[in-house]
Amino acid sequence: MYDKMFPPKQIVLPSGKVVYQKRTRLPLIAVIVIAAVYYSVELTDFNLHKLVTRIGEFFVLIDAMIPPDWSSWHKMSTALLDTLQMSLLGSLLGSLLAVPFAIAASSNIVRSRIVVALFKTILSLLRTLPTLVTALIATFVFGLGPMAGVVAITLFTISYVGKLLYEQIENADMGPFEAMESLGMTRIQAFRNAVVPQVLPGYLSTSIFCFEGNVRYASILGLVGAGGIGLLIKEDIGWRDYPGVGMIILALVVTVYLIETVSEHIRKKLI
Amino acid sequence: MMTTVERQLLTSPRKIWYRLAITFIAIILIGWSVGAVSFKDVNQSGFQIAFNIVKGIVHPDLDLLFNVSKQSVPYLLVQTLAIAFLGTIVGGILSVPLAFLAASNVVPRPVAWLTRLLLIVIRTIPELVYGLMFIKVATGPLAGVLTIGIVSIGMLAKLYVDAIEELDVKVLESMTSIGCTTFEKIRYGIMPQLLSVFLSVTIYRFDMNMREASILGLVGAGGIGAPLIFAMNSYKWDQAGSILIGLVILILLIELVSNKMRARLVKG
Amino acid sequence: MIAFINVNKTYANGTTALNNINVSIEQGEFVAVIGLSGAGKSTLIRCINRMHDITDGQLLVDGVDVAKLKGKQIRRFRRRIGMIFQSFNLVTRATVINNVLVSLVPDLPMWRRVTGIFSSNQKLKALEALEKVGILDKAFIRVDQLSGGQQQRVALARTLAQSPDIILADEPIASLDPVTAKLVMDDFKRINQEMNISVIMNIHHVEIALEYADRIIGIRQGEVVFDGRAAEVTKDVLSYIYGGKMEEAAASAEERAFHVR
Repeated sequence: MYDKMFPPKQIVLPSGKVVYQKRTRLPLIAVIVIAAVYYSVELTDFNLHKLVTRIGEFFVLIDAMIPPDWSSWHKMSTALLDTLQMSLLGSLLGSLLAVPFAIAASSNIVRSRIVVALFKTILSLLRTLPTLVTALIATFVFGLGPMAGVVAITLFTISYVGKLLYEQIENADMGPFEAMESLGMTRIQAFRNAVVPQVLPGYLSTSIFCFEGNVRYASILGLVGAGGIGLLIKEDIGWRDYPGVGMIILALVVTVYLIETVSEHIRKKLI
Repeated sequence: MMTTVERQLLTSPRKIWYRLAITFIAIILIGWSVGAVSFKDVNQSGFQIAFNIVKGIVHPDLDLLFNVSKQSVPYLLVQTLAIAFLGTIVGGILSVPLAFLAASNVVPRPVAWLTRLLLIVIRTIPELVYGLMFIKVATGPLAGVLTIGIVSIGMLAKLYVDAIEELDVKVLESMTSIGCTTFEKIRYGIMPQLLSVFLSVTIYRFDMNMREASILGLVGAGGIGAPLIFAMNSYKWDQAGSILIGLVILILLIELVSNKMRARLVKG
Repeated sequence: MIAFINVNKTYANGTTALNNINVSIEQGEFVAVIGLSGAGKSTLIRCINRMHDITDGQLLVDGVDVAKLKGKQIRRFRRRIGMIFQSFNLVTRATVINNVLVSLVPDLPMWRRVTGIFSSNQKLKALEALEKVGILDKAFIRVDQLSGGQQQRVALARTLAQSPDIILADEPIASLDPVTAKLVMDDFKRINQEMNISVIMNIHHVEIALEYADRIIGIRQGEVVFDGRAAEVTKDVLSYIYGGKMEEAAASAEERAFHVR
């Protein structure tokens, strides 16, 4: 369409040959971006002067967190373990439940187009909802506490692992599957023997990666009452107990780093 | 005498203990995690609420969804979009110097290592903790922009570093032979390589930031999160329903556009 | 004219790369430099445009003493000498025409250098260069969409756009399959004859060197052991240049081509 409004530029070479150069879209893109920035600044009350004068406060806060309050370790460690427990169970349930969803959403396994489209839509809708919103809804249904967090993490894991898994299944080499069907196996048997070995390492790796991310998400779910360390963060900041917040952040950084290292090690071995 | 087959069998690596240990650890972890399940708080009202939520989504508050006042869904969605957009730009700009400081082919190893450590710390701290801290600096949407900016840095800088470390430096040799200065080599040899990768990564992050920005309201940092929570806490499920519908549609739209744009950047 | 007068080159680690080289090349010659890997072919070529410094002796290019040039003078000197590489060395994420335009950059005014906005005259020059190597139709496509042979032609066009007197080529066809290699060599030959540009080329494929070049220089352990017309190269000459390792040389050439493909 753009090319119709601004027809390509004609360049004639001395030899008589003619080349057409498409008009660059750069001016249009620049106008859009500048307009977007202008209206965003308006809508968010973005104010550089205020930012420069007030940003110091942020570093005052960080300064107040150092050194961390080591004595809060005991109170914090139980909440941290709760968080880990929530994310582990949520990731486990989520990745198991993701399997039927992913299979139902794979166009090369399920013949019905309607079923495939339906499950793909469910997965992308689930992925759209921020985990915290799901957790909030879950607290109304399952009551305050870790159970709501587990449900939220499970739902997110289904959507994430499910999407990557159906992409892997759809990209799998279907030659062996056909061969096994021709041997007289049912579609399920052929899937078990031809597709599963191809996607299993990828599936496990995605699940572990998702768990890694879930630990990070789980640590804020407490803010809406869904259990774990988030509640403690909210309370400590509310009471201006910054050394306590510092301790929580330190513990989180160390834990997440450890989990990341272990998970990276395992994932490298898998692929 | 052993046959070759038997000998081969014996030389196959004995992984049985390793595997047993892994299985054992996995079972213990799974058993422990099941402790988080408890249905004691699920009662009749839980199901009633679940039913009400579904009802709210099916019968949303249409007036809220379509009018254009400052409390309406469209206005709040655009504000959320603005927070995500500006936050992505702030994060993207701040990530560039950090990425160069973390690239082992640009700066000495200790500097790169220290910057990487800083990036890990930035990345680990949950978004809402930044939100809670930034509302002490500025109120409302501005705090949201800063929060989105800083959470973007963690991922953007890491992916920028990968692009910098994968730079094709052979181009620079040919530019030397053409007679280019160092400035010209950076402008025409390095920038074209980095720009498209940086852009593609940043657009992807914008897509993610849309989701992050939608919950900032929880800590008072602007966007659609706050009205959503108010609506839920006061059991106004039709309002919550209309907000959720608007949010889902917007996020899906952004995802679609971002995928299209990135595909074009990759293919050229 | 390029003249090597008693040129020596020793690397910092003590290895002698060039040993008492005395060669002179007239304007418009097509010279192929052959020899084993590590014999000093690359070093010889790279001394001409001062990508390497010589340790001893004198190297004159059209009367200019290359070793005496400094900073900006070196860059201006290099403008007249094009260079082609085995791995093309293009910005693969930029369009073909932008890659060609790079060779015009050093002559531009400051504001154009910063913004990267080129005049239509400059674009025309780049397009003409592309026409000469027969890939005009690919001008606005990104380089990563092109085949190896097409990419080497883009590199050739980039060199032509700077209107050089001399083109140095360092294994230009080592990464190409035999058919494409011939096409690229045809381009070199045409440019050499029609535009009277000197071509000095390192090459592993002896048969192709003999087919296209006017003159062959054989290098062995940093010394020129043969210098004469292609027709004068006999089996004995080759086995002397390659130190009786002719088979090995052919095998390594084949292997390299195989790897890249």
